[in-house]
Amino acid sequence: MHSGPKAYQHLVNMKVLLVFTALLVGTFSEQLFVGDQVLRAVASDEEQIALLRALGEQVDLQIDFWRDPTKPGRPADLRVPFSRLQAVKVFLESHGISYSIMIEDVQHLLDEEKRTMMLSRRMERSANKFNFASYHTLEEIYDWMDTLVADHPNLVSKIQIGESYEKRPLYVLKFSTGGSNRPAVWLDTGIHSREWVTQATGVWTANKLAEDYGHDPTVTSLLDTVDIFFEIVTNPDGYAFTHSSNRLWRKTRSINAASSCIGVDPNRNWDAGFGDTGSSSNPCSETYHGPYAHSESEVKSIVDFIQSHGNVKGLVSIHSYSQMLMFPYGYKRTPAPDHEELNELAKKAVNDLTAVYGTEYTYGSIADTIYLAAGTTVDWAYENGVKYSYTFELRDTGRYGFLLPSSQIIPTATETWPALLDILVHIQQHPY
Amino acid sequence: MPGLGAALPAAALLLLLSSFPPAAAEQPLWPFAPGVMHALNPSDRQASKAAWVALHYANFKAASPSLLRFIQGVGMKYYLHFTTDDYINGENAGSCLATVLYLKRSPPEVNIKCADIQDKKQIQEQDNRFYQYLQHRTKPIIANDIPDSHGNIAHAHLPLWGLAVAGGSFIMLKKSTENLGYFLAQVKAVKQQIRKNNAVELEFMILLHETPTQKIYPCYMHLIWILDHPLTLKYICTSVNHWLEDGSGQDYGSAAGMFHEKEGNF
Repeated sequence: MHSGPKAYQHLVNMKVLLVFTALLVGTFSEQLFVGDQVLRAVASDEEQIALLRALGEQVDLQIDFWRDPTKPGRPADLRVPFSRLQAVKVFLESHGISYSIMIEDVQHLLDEEKRTMMLSRRMERSANKFNFASYHTLEEIYDWMDTLVADHPNLVSKIQIGESYEKRPLYVLKFSTGGSNRPAVWLDTGIHSREWVTQATGVWTANKLAEDYGHDPTVTSLLDTVDIFFEIVTNPDGYAFTHSSNRLWRKTRSINAASSCIGVDPNRNWDAGFGDTGSSSNPCSETYHGPYAHSESEVKSIVDFIQSHGNVKGLVSIHSYSQMLMFPYGYKRTPAPDHEELNELAKKAVNDLTAVYGTEYTYGSIADTIYLAAGTTVDWAYENGVKYSYTFELRDTGRYGFLLPSSQIIPTATETWPALLDILVHIQQHPY
Repeated sequence: MPGLGAALPAAALLLLLSSFPPAAAEQPLWPFAPGVMHALNPSDRQASKAAWVALHYANFKAASPSLLRFIQGVGMKYYLHFTTDDYINGENAGSCLATVLYLKRSPPEVNIKCADIQDKKQIQEQDNRFYQYLQHRTKPIIANDIPDSHGNIAHAHLPLWGLAVAGGSFIMLKKSTENLGYFLAQVKAVKQQIRKNNAVELEFMILLHETPTQKIYPCYMHLIWILDHPLTLKYICTSVNHWLEDGSGQDYGSAAGMFHEKEGNF
């Protein structure tokens, strides 16, 4: 939750970054904003609102609203070029519109931002110097992906499988040592945005795969046979929202027709038992399945990718919290045809996980282990030719829940690694 | 019971359906040590018939026209044995034996006995220190977001988190059913009301995470803590979606006018 001044500062920072990016993309012109000021004007009635709007429409004044005038009493922020400052201030004063100077010199602020950004970028230039023991923003993770690819160009590449509702790119890291459409495993983390330990575990794991190839015989043999597709931020709109507004946001950020509630549960939106018990038809619900299966672009993009790939043999979708390893079905209690094999593999994986730090996991089908859930990723994959479909619920069991301390990121990723490897190796050794 | 005392996930509940070795040298775990058990559906007619039989017996034995009972509801009882860790420092805190009776129209009924392995003296000293600290403040303590987005809790806020969990546990107990479970997701805000007398008064805004619905419930909680006494609390939980929807943030103080119902004394 942001209080007034903090929200403003964040807004200013966002706007400043936007302006700065525009500068980078455009020509190399440094001194564009020297002497420009940002004024905060507060209209006291509707007439003053109209006056402010009219002011903005005067093209020759070149006013740039950083926060638009909306209601009396609510601040409007205007960036005014240096040469127009006098005129604008006279206008405000003569109409009795109260204002204050929020930013005395925009260029100075930009210089400061640029300096700090370059500093942190210099520190994180190498992918494995990235701080794996802390939570990161979407931008930081996307930047890190590029450095991972740059550091391991013969193993890792980045592909875009689609766009989120708010038009953010959906990036997937491809781990491949060649071949032509080799059997592949799909991994995803962060489909529920508030489950921060999963995106963080995804980053650590992707790095681990890249680092161990060529050094660890198991990983080397694995990646010489099988391709891995890894979507680390499967719900980027939600993830951005957990940083900017609501840390406990779960769903996508799509707008629902005829409802003021936003978002669809991306793990109820898949076409497997869609709409059955274990999902909700209420847009305000946290388990709202959406208007129809695959309505969410975040889900549809994965469906399209896996179907067009045609050779995906395993899928692991990672969530938190509860400390469980599960397989189909979630939408019905009937055991899956491969229940025995899936159960045995889960048992082995869980044992190897527990062996690391003693963390206890339960395992079994989704319906038996946690609850009935309809329209899940794992059920869809299983019913569409992906026999080895698993879902993890990482740490913890409720003490910190979604707000798992960052000090537990690396232990969580470290203990999950052998379990994940068990599944990957089993897939490698049991082609079908 | 050594075989059944195998380590279980901290504070996780397990239903035990097994035979107990009849010649166990230790005390029976529960008031009525069961033999072979299988779960009976509470809505099963046999369950309420057997319950009536038990009541016929009790009503006769009471031999009083004023002391009579009839069945309100048949519930599902769980017999449990689980291991626990300390909530604050994560260290092993021993095992507990418990029964939980879920009823349809009332909150669950609990009997519990936990092993006594924590250092009582140290705990009392810690409580006492924190209590004195809060008591002697002239400026009310105020804090937000415990834990913060990164799961971190400032050392000074740990006991505040503890009080929130202690009070919040009452709310979660009252709301729990056989199908709905709760965890304390976060303390959004806590504010102390300075009192002249011998008590600590705090207002909380806490967020409860409900499973399996995945809902987040904001609850306003007014807590009075007197050392070595049961907690006194009043609370109101809302399911206001828009409170979390647009991120504009509601000043939790405005919720103060709302609390009226649900008083609780442990």
